[in-house]
Amino acid sequence: MDLAYRLEGVRHCYGNRTVLCIDEQAIELNRIVGIVGHNGSGKSTLLRLLALLEHPTRGKVHYFAESKEPMFEVALLPQEPYLLRRSVFSNVSYGLEIRGCGKNEIRQRVYDALSWVGLDPEGFACRRWYALSGGEAQRVALAARLVLRPRVLLLDEPTTSVDAESGRKIREAILKARNEWGTTVIVSSHDRQWLFDVCDTIIHLFRGRVVGSGVENIVFGPWRKLEGDLWIKIFPDGQKFLCPGVPGCNAVGLIDPSDMHMFPEATGSKYKRRACCIHGTVSGLSMVRSTGDIIATVYAGGESFSAKVSGCVEQFTPGRRVILLTYPDKIRWMS
Amino acid sequence: MSYILEGLRQAVMLLVKWDPETYAAIRATLTVTSYSMCASLLLGIPAGFALGYFDFRGKRVLRTMVDTCLAFPTVLIGLLVYAFLSRRGPLGSLNLLFSLSAIAIGQTILALPIIMSLTATAVESLDRRLRLTLLSLGARGHKLLFTTLWEARHALLIAAITAYGRVLTEVGISMMVGGNIKWHTRTITTAIALETGKGNFGLGIALGIVLMLIALIVNLSVMSLRKKS
Repeated sequence: MDLAYRLEGVRHCYGNRTVLCIDEQAIELNRIVGIVGHNGSGKSTLLRLLALLEHPTRGKVHYFAESKEPMFEVALLPQEPYLLRRSVFSNVSYGLEIRGCGKNEIRQRVYDALSWVGLDPEGFACRRWYALSGGEAQRVALAARLVLRPRVLLLDEPTTSVDAESGRKIREAILKARNEWGTTVIVSSHDRQWLFDVCDTIIHLFRGRVVGSGVENIVFGPWRKLEGDLWIKIFPDGQKFLCPGVPGCNAVGLIDPSDMHMFPEATGSKYKRRACCIHGTVSGLSMVRSTGDIIATVYAGGESFSAKVSGCVEQFTPGRRVILLTYPDKIRWMS
Repeated sequence: MSYILEGLRQAVMLLVKWDPETYAAIRATLTVTSYSMCASLLLGIPAGFALGYFDFRGKRVLRTMVDTCLAFPTVLIGLLVYAFLSRRGPLGSLNLLFSLSAIAIGQTILALPIIMSLTATAVESLDRRLRLTLLSLGARGHKLLFTTLWEARHALLIAAITAYGRVLTEVGISMMVGGNIKWHTRTITTAIALETGKGNFGLGIALGIVLMLIALIVNLSVMSLRKKS
């Protein structure tokens, strides 16, 4: 298996604060890898390290380059893309000009790239940077990376603040890059359903650490000790989540979606007395493209949870009330 | 009031009849300001870019010094340049005193802090995402420099206009190191000072009008450049 990256003992700090702490992580070539995590989990920092724009404070980021100029092989689309104060054509062609491409080639490739992101080249090429909507600007910025046909394409939350149509176009462009040129795509996003739909694998970051290869549920503290070993967390909507064996008041629990069992509320009264159970409403269903699993997103206790759907999907259509249940031994604790 | 009107009438006559003395002063002014602006832009823009773009030890002190130099009195610059270029000075052997070159050197010293300071401010106030965007597209070295400056082009034009206005209108340097020599180092401003002292309001007002016309032409050209970009 060919690797694009291997990270070894990476520690990255801003001042005294360690924002990234990854002991070992490999990223295969020609894969679409998703990165999920809360705000401040280190997603953007990881992407900047992978883009070779920063060096880790400690450890190594090995990029297995194909040419002598790795900076020309990797393209990063930052979270808030910036368009140069010039026309759309000049924005998209900028990277090609740096690489010394000819005028005719540049024109053809720019027009192709604009088409891939769903923008009409004739209509958009001459537009100035200020005459674009947020979604169009995001797609122009993506076209400026796609036009380079990079070996590795790094996208930092490309679907933030764009509409569903733009999100779909971005997804299509990513798949095209991977399928046509074998580009390795590493994409971070808060949109779990979109990631499930696009990615082959997912890396879950939490406080700068890789905590899983899926979209684990995170249950934050504070926890309050009841009697014995039993602890309680009270969610914002007042629901009580009882759990034994919590390691401390501020412990954070990780629960794999496959360990989060889901039952229709109407049939779930028998679960009410059980520990580690919470009521919620299904807000969406999505299919993990790589495995075919169906994952339900459940809004419960003021937070969002993911649970793997087993059995009859019709019972868990969006809007249905459900009970989420997990077993204490399935919760991984981080203190 | 009548002598001012008479002066205006004389001004028109001098300009229309291509008075050689008037046009010699105009030529001298355009020559020295062109040299000094070229030199100050060539030195000031890269220095200002470095000052605004990079973080280094002593940056704040350097910035304060450059900003202080914005208030450099022209007579003090004239004095310093005179001291260096006079026969007894370290550069006396170059025989530059009382020449257009000496005025251009002085005016370069005058314009340099303006260009540096305003370029540094322009670069500092650029969007913080620009650098990451350029790096992520593969720009390095001079490409990074030129693209960053191009993004700040409107602010750089303002810096150039401000500096040009200062060198065009200064008297102290031209008078001290140029010597106000007729047909040779007499610039528009030194001529205005001299002719007004002699009571030749006509020539003084004519040269004043020319000075304003040059400023207007420069500004119109810059505005047209801004529109095109």
